[in-house]
Amino acid sequence: MSRAVLEVAQVSATYGRGAKERQVLAPTTFEISAGESIAVVGASGSGKTTLAEMVLGLRAPSSGRINVQGHEWAAPHKLVCTERRRLVQGVPQDPAAALVPRWTIRQSMAHAIARLLPGESAEHLIAQATELAHFDPALLGRRPSQLSGGQAQRAALARALAVRPAVLVADEPTSALDPQTACAVSADLLATIALSGVALLLVTHDPQLAARCSRTVRICAPTQSRLN
Amino acid sequence: MKNRRPGGRQNKLLSLVSRLLSGVVLLLIAGALPWLSRTDPAAAVLRARYAELEPTPEALAAIREQLGLDGGPLASSLRWWSAVLRGDLGNSWVSGAEIGPGVWQAVSVSATLTAFAIIVALLVTSCLIAPAAVRALRGLEHRGSGPVGVALTALPEFLLASILLVIVSVQLRWLPPYGWTGLETAILPALALGIPAGGLLGRLLADAISGAGEEPWVNVWRLAGAGAPVILSGVLRRAAATTIDQLGLVFIGLLGGAVAVEQVFAIPGLGRYLLGSANAQDIPALQAGVLLMAGAAVLIGTLTALARRWLRGGPLPPGSLPPAPEARGDGRIARFTAIITCSALLAILAFGLPRDPYAIEHQRLAAPSLFLPFGADSSGRDLLARVAHGTLGTITPAVLIVLCAIIIGLLLAVLGDISRGPAEIANATPPILAGVIIAALMGPSVGGAALAVLWVTWPPLTAHAASLIDEARAMGHIRWLPLAGMSRFEIFTRHILPATLPALLRHGMLRLPGVALALAALGFLGLGAQPPMPEWGLLLAEGIGYVERAPWTTLTPAIALVLTSVCAVAVAGMRRAPQKPVRAMAKTAEPAPAGISGA
Repeated sequence: MSRAVLEVAQVSATYGRGAKERQVLAPTTFEISAGESIAVVGASGSGKTTLAEMVLGLRAPSSGRINVQGHEWAAPHKLVCTERRRLVQGVPQDPAAALVPRWTIRQSMAHAIARLLPGESAEHLIAQATELAHFDPALLGRRPSQLSGGQAQRAALARALAVRPAVLVADEPTSALDPQTACAVSADLLATIALSGVALLLVTHDPQLAARCSRTVRICAPTQSRLN
Repeated sequence: MKNRRPGGRQNKLLSLVSRLLSGVVLLLIAGALPWLSRTDPAAAVLRARYAELEPTPEALAAIREQLGLDGGPLASSLRWWSAVLRGDLGNSWVSGAEIGPGVWQAVSVSATLTAFAIIVALLVTSCLIAPAAVRALRGLEHRGSGPVGVALTALPEFLLASILLVIVSVQLRWLPPYGWTGLETAILPALALGIPAGGLLGRLLADAISGAGEEPWVNVWRLAGAGAPVILSGVLRRAAATTIDQLGLVFIGLLGGAVAVEQVFAIPGLGRYLLGSANAQDIPALQAGVLLMAGAAVLIGTLTALARRWLRGGPLPPGSLPPAPEARGDGRIARFTAIITCSALLAILAFGLPRDPYAIEHQRLAAPSLFLPFGADSSGRDLLARVAHGTLGTITPAVLIVLCAIIIGLLLAVLGDISRGPAEIANATPPILAGVIIAALMGPSVGGAALAVLWVTWPPLTAHAASLIDEARAMGHIRWLPLAGMSRFEIFTRHILPATLPALLRHGMLRLPGVALALAALGFLGLGAQPPMPEWGLLLAEGIGYVERAPWTTLTPAIALVLTSVCAVAVAGMRRAPQKPVRAMAKTAEPAPAGISGA
C-alpha cells in the first residue's frame, strides 16, 4: 500500500469565541492513499462542508493537523499551503463557484494553470483535463452561465483536474443536478479518479454513491450545546 | 450557520473599543477646541476685549493665564471638563459674562420649537402613511409613497423657511416675520422644520408598511381570522422595527435644521447662539452650545436604541433583520422629472456661463428683461451669470466631496469594524453643526464647508462599501479563487473591487444633489463661500434682504436650488426602476456576461 496522500488527524472546527463558541465538526481522523476514494457521510449539520473547506485550505481548523503528501498543509488557526496549492483542488456543490462568471471556461482554466503550473503548456493540460472530465472541448469558449448544470459541473471538474492535483475534494457535486445527469456525472467522476490516480474525498448524502467509493468515513454531529 | 463570520466576538470587541476610543477622543477635542482654533485664542480675546491694548507677549501671557489656557491642550481640556462636571460652563471670550444662563435659555427656546416641529412632523407623517396602511390592510398591492411625500421633502429647511417667510409674512402679512414672542411666532418655524422631517418619516414608514404588508405572515394572520386592529398593529410594529434607525437620524437632523430656521426667523435658540458664537469666534460659548446639542443627540440616540430593543424584542446582532426597504417610486415619472430638472439646470449654465458674474454694470436691483433675464442684484451684477457660475461653484466641490467619500469609504471598509465608532458619530452629526464648528476653528471658507459636508458623507458610503465587499467575498466563485492560486491582493483588486465599484459610484452620484444642497445651506448661513463669490446659498442670503423690493434676487437662486432638490429626489426614486426588487444590488454588482442565452 502506498503512502497516504492526505492525512487528517484530530481535525475539528468551531465558530465564534468564548461563551458563543460552537463546535461544528467533532474531531475527525482519516487517511487517503493515491487512487483511493473516500465518501464522507453524516447528517446535515455534522460539518461535512466545513471539513471539505478545511481540506481545500479555504479555512483553518480549530485543532488538529492536515498533511498533504507528508507536508504540513493546515494547522490550528493558520494556513500553510500557498506553495503546494495545486495539490488539493475541488469541485463545489454549485459549479458556478469554481468558475469566474465573466471568464470563459478556457480562461478560468488558463488562469489557474498560469499561476499553479507556470511553464507548462496550458493547451496540452486543458485538452487532457477536458478529456478526463468528459467535457466537450467545443464548449470551452462559453461562459458558465451559458452551460447546463451537468456541463457546468464537468467544466468545474475539468478546471480542477487541469492543474494535476493529488487530492480532489468534491462537496456533494451532484446535488444541484437532476437524477439522470447526477448519475452520469458521478459515474464519470469515479471513473476519472480510477484513471488519473487522484485521491478523492467525496462529501455526499447519497448512500448508493457512497457505496461505490473504496471506503466511507461517517462523521457524527457534534454536541450542539455550548462548550466550556 | 454557513454564512456566519467566525470570530464574531472579536469583531464586537473591536467595534466596542472603536466606539469608546472615538467617544473619548471626541470629548477631549471638545474640551481642547480653543487650542484647535487657527488663531491664537489669547490674541483673539485681546482683540475682542481690549482693542486699545498692544498684543505684547506679556499681555498675551496674562490673558492666557486668565482664561486658563496655560498648560497645553490636554490640561486645558481636562480643566474645562472638570468645570463642566461642576456645572460651570465658563465665561464668554467676547463679553466676559458667564455662559451658563444664556445658553440654557437658548436651549429652552430650541426645545419648545423642536416640540412644535415634532407635532407638525407627526401630523404630516400620519397623513402620509394612512393610504399605505389601508392598502396593506386590504391586501392590495402596494404603490410608491406618492408625489405628496416627495413634494414635502423636496425643500431643505433653510429654503422652505425663506419661502414661508416671503409668502406668509412678507406678501400676505398673516404672521410676524421674526422674533419669539408668542404662539404666532412659532407657527412658521415649526412648519419649516416639521414639514420636511414629517415628509421623510412618512415616506420611509409608508414604504416599510407596504413592504411589511406583502410579507407572508400577514396573509397567515388574515386566514387565522385576526381583526384589522391586530394586523395593523403587527404591520406597524414590523415597519417601525425596520425604520427605527432612520427615524432617530431624522430627529437628530431636526437639531441641524433648527440652526438654519432659527437664523431665518431670528429666534434666540441654541442654533442661532451657536452661529453667533462661531461668527464671533467665541469658542467657550461654542463649546457650551455644541456640548448641549451633542447631549440632545445622545439622548435621541439612546431613546432610539431603547425603542429598537423594544420593537425587535431584545438585542439582536446587526444584520439579522432584513434591511429597511428602499424608497420606491414610479421609475418613469422619476426619470422624466430628473431629465427635465437636469436640462433646466443645463440651460441656466449654457446661457449664464459666458456672462460675467462679478462686473457691476447694471442698475441696482434692475428688473428682469430680455437682456437681463434674471434681473440684477443689489450691487448691479447680472443674476443669471451669478446663478450659473454659482451652479459650478456648488456642484464642483460636491463632486469632489463625493469622490473623496467613495475613496475614504473603500479604505475604511477594508479596515472593517475599527471605523465603526467614528462612523456612528459622523453619521449622527448634522452637517450644519459640523460646519459651525469648522467655521469657528478655521474661519468660514469653501474648503471648511466642504470638509464639514465630507464629514457627514463618508459614513453611508463606507457602510455600503463594507456590505458590498462582504457580499462579494461571500460569492461562491470569489471564495474559491484561492484554489486557482490567486493571492488575496489579486483577488481584492481584480475581483472584489470591480464587483463593488459600479454600485458604489452609482450610490455616490445619487448623493450628489444632497451634498450640493448641504453646501448651499452652509453658504446661506455664511459658513461657506464668502462674498463676492457666486454660490447658491450665498446668493439666496444676499437676496433675501431685498425680497420686498426685488423678489427676483431671492427667486432666481431659489429656483436653481429647487431644481436641484427635485432632481435629487427624482434620482433617488429612480434607483430601482425596472429591476427586480431585493437582491438587485447583489445581481447588478456582478457584470452580466454578454448574451445570456435561454439555454
